[in-house]
Amino acid sequence: MTNVAPTFDARHGAPLLLGLLGLVALVLAIAFLSITVGARPVTLDTVWAALTAYNPDSTDHRIIWELRLPRTVIGLLVGAALGLAGAVLQGATRNPLADPSILGIHAGAALFVVLGVAILGISQLSIYVWLAFAGAGAAMLIVYAVASLGRDGATPIKLALAGAAMTAALQSVISAILLTSPRTLDEVRFWQVGSLAGRNMDIVIQVAPFLAVGIILALASARLLDGLSMGEDVARALGQRIGLSRAIAGLAAVILAGASTAAAGPIAFVGLTMPHVARAITGPNYRWILPYSMLLAPILLLGADILGRILAPPGEVQVGIVTAFLGAPFFIALVRRRKLASL
Amino acid sequence: MHSALKTLLALVLAATPLAVHAEPWTYTDGAGETVTLDAVPQRIIATEDAAAALIPLGIRPVGIIASSQPQDSRALQGLDLTGIEMVGVAYNEVDIEKAAILQPDLVIAEYWPGDREWGGGPAVTGPDGQLRALAPVTGPAQLDSVVGLIEEYEALATSFGADLSTPEIAAAKANFERARDAFSAAAKAKPNMTALAVWPGDDGLWVAAPEGSAELMDLKRWGLGFLKTGLNPDSGYWETISWERSDTYQPDIILIDNRKPTNRASAEAKPTWTAMKAAAAGAIGEWPAYWLRNYTAYAGELDKLTAVVSAADENLTTAQ
Repeated sequence: MTNVAPTFDARHGAPLLLGLLGLVALVLAIAFLSITVGARPVTLDTVWAALTAYNPDSTDHRIIWELRLPRTVIGLLVGAALGLAGAVLQGATRNPLADPSILGIHAGAALFVVLGVAILGISQLSIYVWLAFAGAGAAMLIVYAVASLGRDGATPIKLALAGAAMTAALQSVISAILLTSPRTLDEVRFWQVGSLAGRNMDIVIQVAPFLAVGIILALASARLLDGLSMGEDVARALGQRIGLSRAIAGLAAVILAGASTAAAGPIAFVGLTMPHVARAITGPNYRWILPYSMLLAPILLLGADILGRILAPPGEVQVGIVTAFLGAPFFIALVRRRKLASL
Repeated sequence: MHSALKTLLALVLAATPLAVHAEPWTYTDGAGETVTLDAVPQRIIATEDAAAALIPLGIRPVGIIASSQPQDSRALQGLDLTGIEMVGVAYNEVDIEKAAILQPDLVIAEYWPGDREWGGGPAVTGPDGQLRALAPVTGPAQLDSVVGLIEEYEALATSFGADLSTPEIAAAKANFERARDAFSAAAKAKPNMTALAVWPGDDGLWVAAPEGSAELMDLKRWGLGFLKTGLNPDSGYWETISWERSDTYQPDIILIDNRKPTNRASAEAKPTWTAMKAAAAGAIGEWPAYWLRNYTAYAGELDKLTAVVSAADENLTTAQ
């Protein structure tokens, strides 16, 4: 355990704060790119005109307002949520490979959506949101309950094992439904890969309150995560209530991962990799890791989405595919470069 | 070549009605395999597509394998299914016990030469499919014309002993021919007209190559012009276009895949749908994609298309 007590370190504080401001600038830059770059070339003048003097008869204006703007906002929100969810889960379970997919959250959300489509015949994205959310919550509850069985309660190892088992079980049910019902497969194929396209502001409005609560809860749990990162015994000796800390962090992660999965489908790698990048920059202090993850993840997600829009004109490559292609080699490089910070 | 052979064979069989009951039954299927039975098959299990073709010709299968519940099957709509057992209601799945109780003599499916696969799914009708343990699987091939396919089924039904000269069958065919001629006249009256067949997806606008669809090839043959796209049919029959670029192709009329009833509504909900002039002008028809198997259904779809073609402006867009 190389951690020292997680106190605010003034020596590192100033550069880290500057770095954070730099990231904010980068996020704004990538958001600007996301509004100006797309499958259809639209000049900067037109973008400006669309934003300042909207004309609903202009296709270009409609593209800016009704396609790129919602997509950018969703990208920012989902990215921030995935980054935070990953960081919080890694801290709470002290597992460097923790992310929403390892705790069964993605699989739970996906199963509920698939069931909704297969049994209830639902085909609107706006209802997927609620199904995904319910599924994420249910999966997390079951995983937590299973992991809590036995004397030691929900230890990191048991949580990760229960999550992995849950994911495997749910995935096989999902596959069974999809393989036998081409109609369901047609419906969810697009959602399942993960995409920012085809979502409108209604989706943003539906998930934004959840994301806001999740983000606040996650950022507020930094001190608890710092305590947990020292090991249960130390944290307990410092007077921290382990179970409560984990529950708060877990709740934040479920809200964030559920809402982001609902909005954009299960997007892998963003939540897994970005907290490690954040940790490499900031060191082991969660008061820095969390905001860094929250800003780094949307940069990757929106960057991947922008790339996907211009890779294969006049079509697009879904962001889930691009992040997997970018994220996997990046993650391998990260693991090879340095030993992952022990959590 | 094969289809000519099959038709000939069926005609020969049909021409010897007295001998049929005593003679073995033989059919060369769409995959080029010959199936021989000791007698004319009486108990047939058919895929939903084959059933949609055979029932109107007077051949009632004992069981149907479909990829959905019968009420959700476009192919089966409007057909009387009383007394017919549904032995499969999901793609690639069959209730093999139910099927075995039916004691089928023969399974009729369709062969898709492009995929080298039988309709119904590989686990059901494929080389090691479950139904093959009960009875041989055979049927015509999916080629480039629905009319051609229906004719294959007529030959097949005749070989089963169907009488195609009944007034109902003749009326259905006459009605189809009327609808076809009306469509053809409407299409030929507008030589500059260009059509585009699409599926409106959430991830983009899917544009179809007519070469991949038997009914679109029929429409083309009867005089409907299709917009030339950048698609190379050799490498796939669909092209996905970002909704930002929905104006990439500007047809005079748009045909929306009607396998999913909500497709038109979801297309119209896209902010850039009307970037296609035909969409803005309401020149939108239905594309009965891949599910037409009988003259009655075909005539109904053709009449709807004729109305759209007649109402549309052939010079809405200039030919590209």
